[in-house]
Amino acid sequence: MEELMEILENLRPDVDFEKETALVTDGILESFDIVALVGELDEAFDIEIKPNHLIPENFNSVNAIWALVEKLRDEW
Amino acid sequence: MYSCVLDRFTHVPPERVLYKDEFSSLTWGAFQASSDAIGTYLAGLIGPVAPVAVMTGRHVWTPACFLGVVKAGCFYAPMDGDLPKARLDQMLGVVQAAVMLVDRAHLKTAKELDFHGEIVVMEDILQTPVDPELLFSRKSAMTATSPLYVIFTSGSSGIPKGVITSHESLICYIDAVIKVLHIDESDVLGSQSPLDYIAAIRDIYIPLFTGASTYIIPKNEFAIPGQLFETLNRERVSTICWSVAGVELPAKLGAFELGKPQYLKKLCFSGSVIHCKYLKIWQENLPDVMYVNQYGPTEATASCTYYIVDHPVSEDTVLPIGVPYENYRILLLNEDDTATPPGEIGEICVSGPILALGYYGNRAYTEKAFLQNPLNPYYRELIYKTGDLGRFDEKGLLEFHGRKDRQIKHMGHRIELSEIEETAGRIDGVQDCCALYDRDRELLYLFYTGTASSKEIVLYFRQNMPSYMAPRKTVRLDELPRLPNGKTDMQTLKQYFHS
Repeated sequence: MEELMEILENLRPDVDFEKETALVTDGILESFDIVALVGELDEAFDIEIKPNHLIPENFNSVNAIWALVEKLRDEW
Repeated sequence: MYSCVLDRFTHVPPERVLYKDEFSSLTWGAFQASSDAIGTYLAGLIGPVAPVAVMTGRHVWTPACFLGVVKAGCFYAPMDGDLPKARLDQMLGVVQAAVMLVDRAHLKTAKELDFHGEIVVMEDILQTPVDPELLFSRKSAMTATSPLYVIFTSGSSGIPKGVITSHESLICYIDAVIKVLHIDESDVLGSQSPLDYIAAIRDIYIPLFTGASTYIIPKNEFAIPGQLFETLNRERVSTICWSVAGVELPAKLGAFELGKPQYLKKLCFSGSVIHCKYLKIWQENLPDVMYVNQYGPTEATASCTYYIVDHPVSEDTVLPIGVPYENYRILLLNEDDTATPPGEIGEICVSGPILALGYYGNRAYTEKAFLQNPLNPYYRELIYKTGDLGRFDEKGLLEFHGRKDRQIKHMGHRIELSEIEETAGRIDGVQDCCALYDRDRELLYLFYTGTASSKEIVLYFRQNMPSYMAPRKTVRLDELPRLPNGKTDMQTLKQYFHS
């Protein structure tokens, strides 16, 4: 989780990730942020985020992103 | 010959849909009625040929606001309300509008800006009784060279430049694109571009000229590849004119693993050089679509040349930028203003009725960029020097060979690297800096000396500049590497790209 927070804060230091719960729905994370984020998550956690994972519910909050990471890690 | 875009509108039944977005749709009848009301209201407020700043959202009413301004005999300057206040204030400072037209959702933002004119809320004036005589007199006073809009681009001095364009230029360009893409009233366009941006002129005007319609795609759908293609299918989108960044995104995010835009017939892309590994994915999934590569700057009304991709591409294909659109003329010039010999690389220069009227309120910049054709001593013929380098291949197709200066294209936007440095230089704790672009990984780097933290720098950009201008990677150094002549050694800095 700490590692995830670090990735997010490096990506968008202007966003308060602990508070936000509609990162994608409210357009806080832009499409280009998502592309960069997916690349970093895949690398950092040795997972493979697939196109069907790219839905707002998986990226709207830190907890949702972390849940996705954990789910994909368990699949390995 | 048309004297204004209003004369060029096609005639279709009023119940036909013109624009549609996530929440609502606007028929021709409703569009005409609302733009007439807005036009009447504004004409009662200000004289003709005046700038009107327009700050509205990503919805069907935005084009009605633009054309309402035009019906008042004025010209519009679109403002993206999501930009930081500092940037909007800079733009307002350039435009010096007496009136700003906003939707209710942007009223609060507008009130916080450094703007001393009158703020008019669109929703409040839609019921204005239309005054046909007033509108007719405003329309009659317009000529083909009357200004239509001011659209902003990055300026190397740190102040955005407002490119002002005439009715005639817009009509020439849109008509040329309609011909190449064979647009008719059965087409549905899917709009990706921000509506305040130059690329949106296609999505706004093509339907007005042809009877086609435009679906305005919600911005965040580009982050959700499955949803994007579902939307294109639900709306039966046949034609998309997107930035290269927008076209590459679904391919990058694997959208084709989830579906295909099955109604798509034409895909036109522009803004930067496409990575053909992504175009290949599109071609393999949609082999029957017509793919068109477009090239051109805002100063020559969006695009100058086009190339219809007539073969399957491979990862390393470099597409030519092709041949000029109708009403565009291209010439190549050497550094010393002589004609570039065939087969050699020269600066791409443009002439024709599609040249912008210049940079609003900046005669010095205008005269530097729009010049008498040095090859023509006989009569007045202006050219625009693009700063891009090009070469005609043996088939007469134009190739793109990069920039003369340090302008880059990033996420579909044009950025002067010196504007990034100018901005970073304003931050306390940044002494020396150099901005560079890693095109392969599409990362904007800022190398700097001083005490500022990476977070402080990025935050400053996020608060003062458009989001695409914020550096993605910041590298603090004890000193910047120098060449013997004292200039920053950019080649040495580029070694950081791979680490």
